[in-house]
Amino acid sequence: MDKGGSADLLIAGIGGAAGGTYNHVSLEGVSRINGPVTAMTFTGNGRMRLGGSLTVEQIETNGDLKIGGGLRIGTMKHDGLLKVDGGLLGESFTLNGVADIKGDCELEKFTAEGVVTIGGFLSAGCVELVLQGQAKVKELGVESLVIRKGESGVWNKLAGGIIPKLRAELQARVIEGDFLDLEFTTAEVVRGAVIIIGEGCSIGRVEYRDRLTVHPGASVGMEEKTGE
Amino acid sequence: MDEDLISKKELLDLTGISYGQLYRWKRKQLIPENWFIRKSTFTGQETFFPKERMLGRIQHILSKKDDLSLDELAGKLSDMTSVHKQLLTLEEVRERNIVSPITLERYGQRDRNEDKYSFDQLVHLVAVDLLLGKGELSLEEADLLHRTLSVNLPQFEGKRWELFFARKMGVSFFLQALAPSELVFDEGVRLISRITLEDLTEQLQGKLG
Repeated sequence: MDKGGSADLLIAGIGGAAGGTYNHVSLEGVSRINGPVTAMTFTGNGRMRLGGSLTVEQIETNGDLKIGGGLRIGTMKHDGLLKVDGGLLGESFTLNGVADIKGDCELEKFTAEGVVTIGGFLSAGCVELVLQGQAKVKELGVESLVIRKGESGVWNKLAGGIIPKLRAELQARVIEGDFLDLEFTTAEVVRGAVIIIGEGCSIGRVEYRDRLTVHPGASVGMEEKTGE
Repeated sequence: MDEDLISKKELLDLTGISYGQLYRWKRKQLIPENWFIRKSTFTGQETFFPKERMLGRIQHILSKKDDLSLDELAGKLSDMTSVHKQLLTLEEVRERNIVSPITLERYGQRDRNEDKYSFDQLVHLVAVDLLLGKGELSLEEADLLHRTLSVNLPQFEGKRWELFFARKMGVSFFLQALAPSELVFDEGVRLISRITLEDLTEQLQGKLG
């Protein structure tokens, strides 16, 4: 891709743009872009509203980012709120905050701390998720998956008992992968080669190929060894 | 005719690949999205694959993946432009054993322009050869098939198509449709064969090396 000839888009304060192909996009403050955006690099702070899709090689954002279409990235770092109405496709995504992705996700590396909601299928090489609230993914297919519960304060713990949204857990229908290390996960089916079912898990059915470890504080409906 | 399906679990047991590999290959577009067929079973939803095509593709990937990176491999699978231009002479087709000698003798002469075959013509030969080889086609039907494909070539040029071969009450006929297509026949019709351009291209590419 030769984007060397493209211009930059800079918005500081309150502003808007139609969209298009840029070399670099910088949004500071409150900005709205109506059409699809393609860029090599993208930095943003504040409240960003994109009406169309976003295709970007490298992106680093803080704040509240909403994308009306699909998101296609090389590498992305985001702190804050993220909402994507389409799917997410890319290499590497690091999130600290809350993400809501309507479509399917395809990533090589996905590291997140916070709350993640994915309406479709999450297909990834390596996923590390630190839970700070109720995460929901319809289905997962991964090479390696590590789920941990984040450090939460005493107030959050109290509130988690009353408001289910604040209880740190992952809900998924199906989880499949080579190496699965789970904690506080609720799933109907978990399939994989090496599976560790940690504290607080509630799994309907586990199918494992090589090794299965179940924490005493977890509940597993059915265990089955496959591939013999 | 329903294609033979294989469940994901069976596929992994059979080929020895892992979930991670399967999903990685899907992400790299080595395995087309529409090969993942979802069906509900008594254990909930399961994913199935078209058995023959999937096993063929996995063998292909496994045999090449040590020499090529996955991205290169994906490029090779989807990049048909290089082959599209390729022109082979009659001798080369015979030497490389791309189609059986019978097919080549019978249909090879017809559509040769300037002593070389275009990619489309080779695909047609492969299609005829494939069905003849399976014993699903009589020679007259093969004539009809080859003619159908040749006549319709301009209409389907550069597009993905599928070929249906069906029989009803002893009468056979061909249908060529843009892919992906879902055709429904009445009860008396027996769908004997269904091949897609991709299958043919893959076969041909395999033989061309």
